[in-house]
Amino acid sequence: MSRPTSTPRRLAAASATVALVVGAAACGPKADGGGGTGKDAAPQRGGTLTVLNQNPQDQFDPARLYTSGGGNVPSLVFRTLTTRNRADGAAGTKVVPDLATDTGTPSEGATVWTYHLRDGLTFEDGSPITTADIKYGIERSFAPELSGGAPYLRDWLVGAADYQGPYKDGRTLDSIETPDAKTIVFHLAKPEGDFPYLATQTQFAPVPKAKDTGTKYQDHPVSSGPYQVEKNENDGAHLVLKRNPNWSAATDDQRKAYPDTIDVQSGLDPAVINQRLSAGTGADAAAVTTDTNLGPSELAQVKDDKALAARVGTGHFGYVNYLAFNPKVKPFDNPKVRQAIAYALNRTSVVNAAGGSSLAEAATTYLPAQETFGYTPYDPFPAGATGSPEKAKEALKEAGYPDGLTVTLTHSTDTGKGYGPNLATAVQDGLKAAGITVRLEALDSTRYSKTIHTVGTEPGFFLSGWGADWPSGGPFLAPIFDGRQIVTDGYNFNSAQLDDASVNDEIDRINKITDHAEAAKRWGALDQRIGEQALTVPLFHPVYKRLYGKDVRNIVISDWTGVLDISQVAVK
Amino acid sequence: MAPRETRAGEARAAAPAAGGRQVWRRLLARRTVRAAGLVVVLLVLTAAAAPLLTAVEGQDPTSYHNDLLDSAAGGVPTGSFGGVSAEHWLGVEPGTGRDVFARLVHGARISLLVAVGATLVQVAIGVLLGLAAGLGSRLLDQLIGNTTEVMLALPSLVFAISLMAVVPTDFSRPLLLTLVIGLLGWAGTSRLVRAQTLSLKQLDHVAAARLAGATRWRIARRELLPALAAPVLTYAAVLLPTNVVSEAGLSFLGVGVKPPTSSWGQMLSGATTWFRADPMYVLLPSALLFATVLAFTVLGDAVRTELDPRAASRLRVGTTGGPGGPGTTGEAAA
Repeated sequence: MSRPTSTPRRLAAASATVALVVGAAACGPKADGGGGTGKDAAPQRGGTLTVLNQNPQDQFDPARLYTSGGGNVPSLVFRTLTTRNRADGAAGTKVVPDLATDTGTPSEGATVWTYHLRDGLTFEDGSPITTADIKYGIERSFAPELSGGAPYLRDWLVGAADYQGPYKDGRTLDSIETPDAKTIVFHLAKPEGDFPYLATQTQFAPVPKAKDTGTKYQDHPVSSGPYQVEKNENDGAHLVLKRNPNWSAATDDQRKAYPDTIDVQSGLDPAVINQRLSAGTGADAAAVTTDTNLGPSELAQVKDDKALAARVGTGHFGYVNYLAFNPKVKPFDNPKVRQAIAYALNRTSVVNAAGGSSLAEAATTYLPAQETFGYTPYDPFPAGATGSPEKAKEALKEAGYPDGLTVTLTHSTDTGKGYGPNLATAVQDGLKAAGITVRLEALDSTRYSKTIHTVGTEPGFFLSGWGADWPSGGPFLAPIFDGRQIVTDGYNFNSAQLDDASVNDEIDRINKITDHAEAAKRWGALDQRIGEQALTVPLFHPVYKRLYGKDVRNIVISDWTGVLDISQVAVK
Repeated sequence: MAPRETRAGEARAAAPAAGGRQVWRRLLARRTVRAAGLVVVLLVLTAAAAPLLTAVEGQDPTSYHNDLLDSAAGGVPTGSFGGVSAEHWLGVEPGTGRDVFARLVHGARISLLVAVGATLVQVAIGVLLGLAAGLGSRLLDQLIGNTTEVMLALPSLVFAISLMAVVPTDFSRPLLLTLVIGLLGWAGTSRLVRAQTLSLKQLDHVAAARLAGATRWRIARRELLPALAAPVLTYAAVLLPTNVVSEAGLSFLGVGVKPPTSSWGQMLSGATTWFRADPMYVLLPSALLFATVLAFTVLGDAVRTELDPRAASRLRVGTTGGPGGPGTTGEAAA
């Protein structure tokens, strides 16, 4: 999923739901009654795949792209050291080698990671890909004029904190070693068991130094993948990709690359995209979207149309929408008040406000309900699907509010994004029965995002959400609950401002674990431990429904992106 | 109006009343007007009795009914016509299950209150400033004139949206809507009143009052206001439906009333994506809004025709009704 985010750091978290949902949005293969016409026939090469999107691919420089797992369209052009497994569902959350022979060899307590390149790798011009090209690609992503990528490399690599890229003084990064053309070694400042996941991002794509044109590079980046850029019009609003003659399926076991041409058209309204996909006239029959969901009203229409329902896929992406508390604001400093709200919450109303059970799954855990995140089912404040006013009143009495209380819930004016008035009123209605009167404070989306992420202005009680950059518990929990990640002079995501030494230490300990399954278990346990403090009340994990054209087949949707993977799609 | 001691005052006081009755009779003689009037009366009654009506139905406008929704199908109401049933006369809202009838009748209160309130604000400011400009010094006239121009040139929708956004959320939203629409829409009235004042000023009885030493305030009150009533009323009748639409528009854009309060505009805004899946939900607020605006417009039109300056000149007392009527130029009456 390529997230064309322009917002700061980290998925631009909350503010980027749009982007996230967009990226995540997704669709899926499986389910829903199986095959439309001719879907069982073996997929063939050839044809043109049309991609109808809302957001233009306005960044196409691998240094500037902020992606999860290398993105969707970008991943057709840029190969990276590792990539996401192109498989349906949970299998798709695995990280697999791409340019490299394996997902990396850790040493010295996961602070040193070594990769070797496969044989026979070439750029679109036929020249060989070397580890020097990968090192150069990473270095240029530090240049201020090519900013926009995920911030992790600057935090993780030794000596990268104030590195300004190779352009200014020609300095290189000593923490990336290339002992020979096939070997690359990364030296990290701290143990990071998730390094192979980071190596899926486009900053790990090779860039030949001789062809680098700085900020102009994105007009025609040198391809290492199955397609190369033929046309890039209006800043990525219309992107045409054609086959890269020098890409060989023999060196790439992930990308299928069936269509000859990929035509990406952006700037479309979501209703238009879904309407065009459902009508499927002309080129739209072989069309997909990588950033648009079916909305609730569209879902209601699909219900009555079997042929259409067969063309709807379901996708999951690690995301949680939750009620956030700022315990520095009264009365939320009192855990009993937070618990009362957790007990009173009517998740059925919330789920319906979010588009119904097909688009949202009620959540009691912060971590998404997928094994790869370390999902451990728990409900610290069990109150059933519709909430328990009695338990809530009990907690309120213990908190010293036997006659109920009035609180303010801050939300965005933006409807349909998971932080909007629809959800706020659903929460409000649910808490009414417990004697909690909720006053709503609506802020326009920009102001809302800034207000809730600034330590000084953070409200006591607000709607929020979080999605991770890769399917692991670390990027899900650490930014929100690690006390050392409280940012007092910028965007802060640790909204509870939790700085608990035992939590911080556990995060450090888990980061040292290089066995993903083992780490996942520990993240799950940590999630439960934090959940019991009621610093957040999870509302729901979104589900994505996406429509695809009637001639489209070989549909693969991973739980990593929740998005139909266009490297797998065939139109013949 | 103030107590009338003078002879002229008595004459004037009697005349508009007689004229009013005459106008009233002529208005009622028209079938369209009677129909429009009926709609307006019904609306006002509905709005006034909203809590009573919803109590009769046994619902309230904010309670959620999750059991009436098909959650897997996006939260569309189960049952036909948007979930119409004996309990929910006009169905329920998709995604929440809130009662549509209750939300519509409560929404009518907001729509009508805000529209009437905003019209009053517009007329009050417009008349005051128009009189001041017409009677005051040249400098004051210039100042008010320029301000009026600015107000007319202002992109009022954009301005209204930003005003609605910056005011703290604690402030009563219906009142804020009234003020914002009112404060941004007085320019037309002000111009009209100024023009009328300038021509009325030339009339004999006004000149006589001035010569007799009446203050400006007294002239405005005694000599001008009664004569201004007709054109201002006409103009207000046109403003009212515009204000209904403005309120709906602002609520539609998400800067109007705060949820869970309902208004027609806010309902329409939520309904836009549902026009295929749940047409009832879109049609009901649209139809009501349409009927309201149409009814007010028909009434306004009729009032204008009846109180047309030319017709009005026949009714107005204190002048003999010169050939051009007082609405045209000073010379006509001189």
